[in-house]
Amino acid sequence: MAAQFHLEIITPTKVIDEGLVDYVRAPGVDGSFGVLARHTNAIMAIAIGEIKVVKGSVENSYACTQGFAEITKEGVQLLVETAEQKDDIDLQRAQEAFDRAKAELQKKHDELADEEEALKALERSMNRMRIAKK
Amino acid sequence: MANLKDIRKRIGTIDSIRQVTRAMKLVAAAKLRRAQGNMEQARPYARRINDVLNHLLPDIDRGTHQLLTMRPAKKKAFVVLTSDRGLCGSFNTNILKYAQKVIDEAGKDQSQLICIGRKGYDYFGKRGYDVVEHYAGFWKDLSFNHAIEMADAVTERYLKGEFDDVRVIYNEFKNVAQQEIVEFHYLPLVLEEEDDATIKDYLFEPTKDEVVKSLVPRHLTVQMWRFLLESNAAEQAARMTAMEAATDNAGELIDNLRLEYNKARQSAITTEILEVVSGAEALAE
Repeated sequence: MAAQFHLEIITPTKVIDEGLVDYVRAPGVDGSFGVLARHTNAIMAIAIGEIKVVKGSVENSYACTQGFAEITKEGVQLLVETAEQKDDIDLQRAQEAFDRAKAELQKKHDELADEEEALKALERSMNRMRIAKK
Repeated sequence: MANLKDIRKRIGTIDSIRQVTRAMKLVAAAKLRRAQGNMEQARPYARRINDVLNHLLPDIDRGTHQLLTMRPAKKKAFVVLTSDRGLCGSFNTNILKYAQKVIDEAGKDQSQLICIGRKGYDYFGKRGYDVVEHYAGFWKDLSFNHAIEMADAVTERYLKGEFDDVRVIYNEFKNVAQQEIVEFHYLPLVLEEEDDATIKDYLFEPTKDEVVKSLVPRHLTVQMWRFLLESNAAEQAARMTAMEAATDNAGELIDNLRLEYNKARQSAITTEILEVVSGAEALAE
């Protein structure tokens, strides 16, 4: 069996998951990156996307939003604003958020309250729906 | 000697007050437990962000980030955290007194206030302080989104140059019986101990600068979240202690009144017996 390492997924309100894993893939801002045991020390920014965790033959997916990863000898810590396991995603809520954001973006430019925020919301909801439906 | 009926009525009143205070104590205790749980859950994230920033900041040129740049503190802002509701002992009084002292020292006219919690807004709004923003009514369903909203509002004003220095004044939860007033230097960002970097041989993606840029706002939000949680737990603890004391006092009052009631009853009986006996004696003669 390949070497394992300690992984923690932490959000401001909760420790979502921790334990020994074989492999984790996280969505870096410049593209996804994978981490195996004995990775070099690193700090990487994380974008909205999917965290994939492989533990033995079990695969697990999480929808996450921005944050960063700290990779050290002791293990990997993913500090993200939110993270939900694939099965815990509230599809209906995501769909509502998606509709809201879409409606917001269809407004005329001068009526738009906060374009950046609406785009982010759109991205978040699409990400959640994509992972939940996998 | 007080009238028997009056005393009975007073005992009844105090007893119903005691029931209310006891119920409030139990509610506060339950809320406190949840608040402490939330604090526990928030700790790992806050600690890690703090650690990483601590390591990184010595290597970063402060001038390149607006939130890190020290500018002469001409205009100050104070964020004061209070509760929405009263009946929690000296929780609000203490913090308002402290905040007022600090603000007056800094100069009332050069200071802006952000009041979190209704009590603070009522207090400073009435006294002619410059309250630029206030929040109320969120404590009962406190969530991380509130922290984001508040931190963003403060940061935005800071970046616009409305003020150059932000202090947060809040009650820190020490233990159930103790709260401590803390004044925290929120902006520009200063960390207590900028120790030597053991993190130098790290790989950064995309770049160290970018990482810090994304970390700083996140750190500010998490700090705000921590203040909210601390203040919330401290409020519940203060209320619990206050209500416990009130319940005890009510019990004591009831005990005293019972004694008085029994004394009054006893003396009424004695008088009656005396009357009967002397009446009988008068007849026998």
